[in-house]
Amino acid sequence: MLALLKRDLYLALYSSSSFFYTSSFFVLVLIILPFLFGTNNVQLQVLFKGIIWIGLSLSILLTMERIFNADYEDGNLDIIIQRYPSLETIIISKYITHWVVYCLPLFIILPILSFLFYVSLDNFFLIFLNLLFGSFGMVFIVTFVSALTLGAKRTIFLKAIIVIPLFVPFLIFGTNLESWPILLALSMMSFVLSMYVSAYGLRLYVE
Amino acid sequence: MNELKIEDLTCYRGENLVLKDLNTKLKSGETLVIRGKNGSGKTTLLRVLSNFIKSYNGKILFNDQNIIEDANYRYFFNFVCQKNSLKDNLSVKNNLKLWEIIYQKNISYSKLLEDFNMSHLVERDVASLSDGQKKCISLLRLNFTESKIWFLDEPFVFLDEENSQILIQKIKNFNTNNGIVIITSNINLQNTFTNEIKI
Repeated sequence: MLALLKRDLYLALYSSSSFFYTSSFFVLVLIILPFLFGTNNVQLQVLFKGIIWIGLSLSILLTMERIFNADYEDGNLDIIIQRYPSLETIIISKYITHWVVYCLPLFIILPILSFLFYVSLDNFFLIFLNLLFGSFGMVFIVTFVSALTLGAKRTIFLKAIIVIPLFVPFLIFGTNLESWPILLALSMMSFVLSMYVSAYGLRLYVE
Repeated sequence: MNELKIEDLTCYRGENLVLKDLNTKLKSGETLVIRGKNGSGKTTLLRVLSNFIKSYNGKILFNDQNIIEDANYRYFFNFVCQKNSLKDNLSVKNNLKLWEIIYQKNISYSKLLEDFNMSHLVERDVASLSDGQKKCISLLRLNFTESKIWFLDEPFVFLDEENSQILIQKIKNFNTNNGIVIITSNINLQNTFTNEIKI
């Protein structure tokens, strides 16, 4: 699995613009919304809890094509499946890479954004935990939807229609600062579901 | 001496019968050309032989062992499909680096590219290459494994006369080293490889 992880991380590094774009997109979403809802300090703090989830959801949703589809389109998925016949290994490697490449940069810039939105240190810590545990689950969800819709072209809207309702529980509990244990539980459930369905999706493709 | 044996192979894709009662046998040093119309099942046959497709009737044996049950079979073959397996937004060098990681084998890129006289392309983005150049680079994947069988899906498509000859020579060299090669092709290769079946 290490070689596969290394390959995926190298691929992300070589196309390094992709995670820069995702982080920029996340920051822009966060910056734009205060223009609509006002820049009052208290209002910004309340707003922040919600809009970081919208930013994270959109960032993960927009990059889901890169989980399996890019390798499927150019034929690399065949090589990967031939060399690593354990589909679970491939799926776990994709979880880790996708989270590291597209979610980790968002956590790095989160302290700066929290400061700009006047979020207190206590609240920041809880928001960080919520977002951390929620992001795992959201990556698990997009991975299985990506595997299940493998080969279907120009279906980003279809994928969004499947994914967004599945994100709703994360958004509901994510805005409650004390609910990180629930988000952790949701992520664990998503992991079980995702492993099973992703493997099924990949098996369908291989066959 | 290696042997690949196909016994009574029948395969359906959905409700369509794609391969019917196919029987053939290949030994070390032999090349088989599979010819057929578009959609006749040539690629399906290669995917069956590569163990990607496992739902079929009949048996495929490599050295008398059923390929479905042989966990090591994947190390014995190299499958170059019609897709080039290249990332368009990366340079040739970076694409080779990705293969190097997957196959866990270090190869000198310039030496590798010399095979098709393409050393000068090492820093070029794949997107800027012609289809023929991409095809040549995708065929370089054959050098990353010490496999015993090559499955080549339409390898001559987009290749010019010179590169076609280089590929034919590579296949013959592989045969000389006891390798088995199965090629699908729409082009008549009977003057080069005599062993041919039509499906």
